[in-house]
Amino acid sequence: QSMTLSITPAQTAAWRKQIFEQLSERTKREMDNFRHYEQAVEQSVWVKKGTM
Amino acid sequence: MADDKDVLRDVWFGRIPTCFTLNQDEVTEREAEPYYLLLPRVSYLTLVTDKVKKHFLKVMKADDVEEMWFEYEGTPLKWHYPIGVLFDFHASNTVLPWSITVHFKNFPDRDLLHCPSSSVVEAHFMSCIKEADALKHKGQVINDMQKKDHKQLWMGLQNDKFDQFWAMNRKLMECSTEEGGFRYIPFRIYQTMIERPFIQKLFRPVSPEGTVHSLGDLLKEVYPAALPSDGKQKHFQVVIHGIEPLLETPLQWLSEHLSHPDNFLHICITPVPSD
Repeated sequence: QSMTLSITPAQTAAWRKQIFEQLSERTKREMDNFRHYEQAVEQSVWVKKGTM
Repeated sequence: MADDKDVLRDVWFGRIPTCFTLNQDEVTEREAEPYYLLLPRVSYLTLVTDKVKKHFLKVMKADDVEEMWFEYEGTPLKWHYPIGVLFDFHASNTVLPWSITVHFKNFPDRDLLHCPSSSVVEAHFMSCIKEADALKHKGQVINDMQKKDHKQLWMGLQNDKFDQFWAMNRKLMECSTEEGGFRYIPFRIYQTMIERPFIQKLFRPVSPEGTVHSLGDLLKEVYPAALPSDGKQKHFQVVIHGIEPLLETPLQWLSEHLSHPDNFLHICITPVPSD
């Protein structure tokens, strides 16, 4: 059965909220312990300054 | 609550911590140390591994060096799929950093396309964008752009410039409110069960009756085996950019926010880990 345009705001919020939460968890899982690793592609100037 | 635009940044700045190790059979003049890098999920292996190549070439004899290629647990990694797709499909449940083996000989011609320079990646990337726009807008948006606009999309990806890329890409993501979405959703579904490298079919974001199609509707139509049966345990994970969106998420929204820079929504179907 397809979702219809009559989905309630609460249901809409559920899928959107879940995506935000999971992206935040992904950052923790994949990046938080590895921020000392070198970036494959050089970042903009201000980031370089920040690592000096 | 966070803005939808934040999702675009999260997607763009996703990184996979990776440990590159030289294949044991390569002839070296001294021991090769592993090389650690944060790889952009949305880029391509051969586009972001110049440093890896330079690092390993230091210890190798020039005569023993052929085209560089990558392997994970015996599987050659296809550089023409985005890095995040390769990781989600082959390695999503492994311990980080992702361990990739680097080879300089015995190029697996049957499995991989050759990639002698970044212009090959550019041609592949632009070809995907054009195909996606053919599905979304009959190619009208990409064809109306000038060559410098195409270059801006490519340079944005190559140099990891989010604003430069999105200043142009937003035009490719526009659709009229009356139509309620793109003509067709550019998507590719990767799975291990059938021979084909991926599933790609015509699928609209809205039904003829005006019903909004969800991620679940797409899977039901093109790959129902991925969906959990009523009351039974889930056997597969449906992964996009390392996350599992709810099946009721509208497909048009996913296409606009979770597509890769090539404008395709890449969906990986992987078995649920047993432990």
